[in-house]
Amino acid sequence: MISIQHLNKRFGSVQAVNDLSLEIPAGELFCFLGPNGAGKTTTIKMMTGLLRPDSGTIRIGGFDIQKQPVEAKRIMGYIPDMPFLYEKLTPVEFLKFVAGLYNVAHPDLSGHIESSLSQFGLQEARNALIGELSHGMRQRLLYIATFIHAPRVIFIDEPLIGLDPHSIRMIKNLLRAKVRDGMTILLTTHILALAEDIADRIGIISGGRLIALGKLGDLRTQSGDKGSLEDIFLNLTASPTPQTLNPEP
Amino acid sequence: MHPLTAIWIKNWNTLRNVRRILQQESIFKTVFILLFAAGIMGGFFMMFLNGFQFLASLGGAGFMITRRLFSLFFLGLGAMLVMSNIITSYSTLFRSRETLFLLTAPLDTRTFVTYKFIESTLLSSWAFFFLMIPFTTAYAWHEKLGLIFAVWTVLFSLPFVFLCGAIGSLISLAAVRWFPRSRFVWGAAAIILLSFAIRAILQIRPVMQEEATFILNRFLPGLQLATHPLMPNNWTAEGIMALTNGQWLRGGMLWLVLVTNTAMLFLLIQEFGRRVFYTAYQQVTGSPDIRRRASELLGWLDRLLAFLPHDIRGMIMKDIRSFLRDPLQWSQALIFFGLLGLYFSSFRSFHYNEMPPIWRNLIVFLNIFSVSSVICSLAARFVFPQLSLEGHSFWILGLAPTGMRRILLTKFFLASLAMVTISAALMGLATWMLQAGSALSLISIGLAVAISLSVSALSTGLGALFIDLKQPNPVAIISGFGGTLNLVLSLGMMLGAILPFGLIWHWRASEGLADSLLIKANLIAGLWVILLSSLMVSLPLWLGIRSLKNREY
Repeated sequence: MISIQHLNKRFGSVQAVNDLSLEIPAGELFCFLGPNGAGKTTTIKMMTGLLRPDSGTIRIGGFDIQKQPVEAKRIMGYIPDMPFLYEKLTPVEFLKFVAGLYNVAHPDLSGHIESSLSQFGLQEARNALIGELSHGMRQRLLYIATFIHAPRVIFIDEPLIGLDPHSIRMIKNLLRAKVRDGMTILLTTHILALAEDIADRIGIISGGRLIALGKLGDLRTQSGDKGSLEDIFLNLTASPTPQTLNPEP
Repeated sequence: MHPLTAIWIKNWNTLRNVRRILQQESIFKTVFILLFAAGIMGGFFMMFLNGFQFLASLGGAGFMITRRLFSLFFLGLGAMLVMSNIITSYSTLFRSRETLFLLTAPLDTRTFVTYKFIESTLLSSWAFFFLMIPFTTAYAWHEKLGLIFAVWTVLFSLPFVFLCGAIGSLISLAAVRWFPRSRFVWGAAAIILLSFAIRAILQIRPVMQEEATFILNRFLPGLQLATHPLMPNNWTAEGIMALTNGQWLRGGMLWLVLVTNTAMLFLLIQEFGRRVFYTAYQQVTGSPDIRRRASELLGWLDRLLAFLPHDIRGMIMKDIRSFLRDPLQWSQALIFFGLLGLYFSSFRSFHYNEMPPIWRNLIVFLNIFSVSSVICSLAARFVFPQLSLEGHSFWILGLAPTGMRRILLTKFFLASLAMVTISAALMGLATWMLQAGSALSLISIGLAVAISLSVSALSTGLGALFIDLKQPNPVAIISGFGGTLNLVLSLGMMLGAILPFGLIWHWRASEGLADSLLIKANLIAGLWVILLSSLMVSLPLWLGIRSLKNREY
């Protein structure tokens, strides 16, 4: 579903992403880990078409994000770490706007929006302006908006920032349920426990290179470290020239 | 549903909700802002009407000027629209947070650029209508034209606004796409462009013309350019006149010329945008090479200010560096100074220095009024919102072991230093160019200093009183109640300081006031200005400090 081949991106003299190749099949929850400045957000921004790679290709659902951006964006969703929301719209107006942007042909769009708001506990906030909502409520609204066009691929940058324990549990359950339904999810996080908890596979990026890739058990085997993901992560990324565990292509 | 339809519905909903918010706010606040806007428009109307009446009193030459003034007016407004749209397009296309959101939606670049072009043109056109309405109303009043004149004016103005907007957006797209990201180059390019525009307006000389037209062109710089048959402002002005006079064929032809050119530019911006936007966006949003950037901007200034207490020096350097690193802020300052450059360069062209003393005296005070108005605008735009723009990082200042009083006074001193330097230099230059004489020059510079100190304190104090830490947009901060009140009080202070001196010197020029009386009158006026500015400095600062101290964050 997501296919990345020899991706490179340089900012001036800094090589942000270095020859990155990755295949993520449909129905997988893939977790991208890495220290600050490792190239995670740059990679996601290239996958969503916000940044142009210097070289390499990215295909989402078979569509090249550079050559067929509209087709690729139609089947994907993106939740950034600092999302933009229209503060002077109500949640219902915002969701209808997003449905219009993605040309959602739902027979009962209003009913669908109402049930989503109810499912995410935003029923009472339906008439408030988004600018008046708390951070957690905005995040939940963003999840509804992202799922409104039933995307096949979702990119999430730091999914749990600022959420309370109830919302965290809800989001984790939601993501797992979506993956069971066949959705592909790529998320980046610094919360290693989250990756351990919900990821099908984990990729560790450091200095723009993919230095480890596989299931948690594979990573343990490859690194020879029987400890937690935190131990593996710290061992791999501690040195200025991080070791590589021959990640599978 | 087409994505553009969804976007327009979203904009409509936003407008409706903003109206709902305004209805919930204080009626006094809304009425005050509306009255202020109406007052300014009324003032413009009276000024334009007096101008038309004065021109009519000149006879034949006045009539010739009036006809051409229409073209010149639209040329000025057109240039303003282009400049304004360059800046607005840059912020709506490249810097708006909405751009990031829309770029991840399945929107093709052509649709996206079309939407952003229309948005930036609408955003930057309010000033056009704000000035155009009183001007054309005054003209219609003076010429006793019917309501149909307003219809023709609107009919021509709309395509004209979009034509100028398209030129601005094209320049903005091209500049971002092909200019390096270096701000120095950006700034230099803007200055060079502005200089060329000024030179083009001032120095275009006709190949052949009648004697009367030659004289008119000498006194009204830019007239030749404004009345050139290939200029859109000329199509607009001539077209409105033609339809008003019942010349349907000529008026219709000019309207079609304007509309077809606008449509062509519309297509051009769609195609050009489709081709260059994405690459241009990459250049703006791509992370800069941090290894090449100096770790400290203006480190030498920091060392130079070593004699200041640490906290004050830190705040001053933070404000200067933040300002210089924000292109939206300094590019608007650049436009201010570009317009001032145009204003100063007109002194010699208008040959004020060759006029009789009574006229020169009048012009000196009009000049004091103009420069002071610019100072008031600068303070309203840059000083008033500075505390609010601290935004979410205000807690850093709040937690620091320095008092709110010290923070506010530092902001005031920095603003005053900049304002006094700019205004005194401008006033000195202007009085020198007008050969105003030493006494008038001294009064002009003194007034500039007093007004600068007063409006700096007023803007800083009211900025603290009406602080809005949630609003990141400076334009939204200054267009609120506090910003409007600040501008009204600044203009009021300015008039209160200038008028006494203006009356005294006008009395002397027209009635021959004796020297001894002139000195006494000037001393009294000077005392009044000292008292007024002392009050205007101390009261707003005291109120601002009190408000910051009592505020909960």
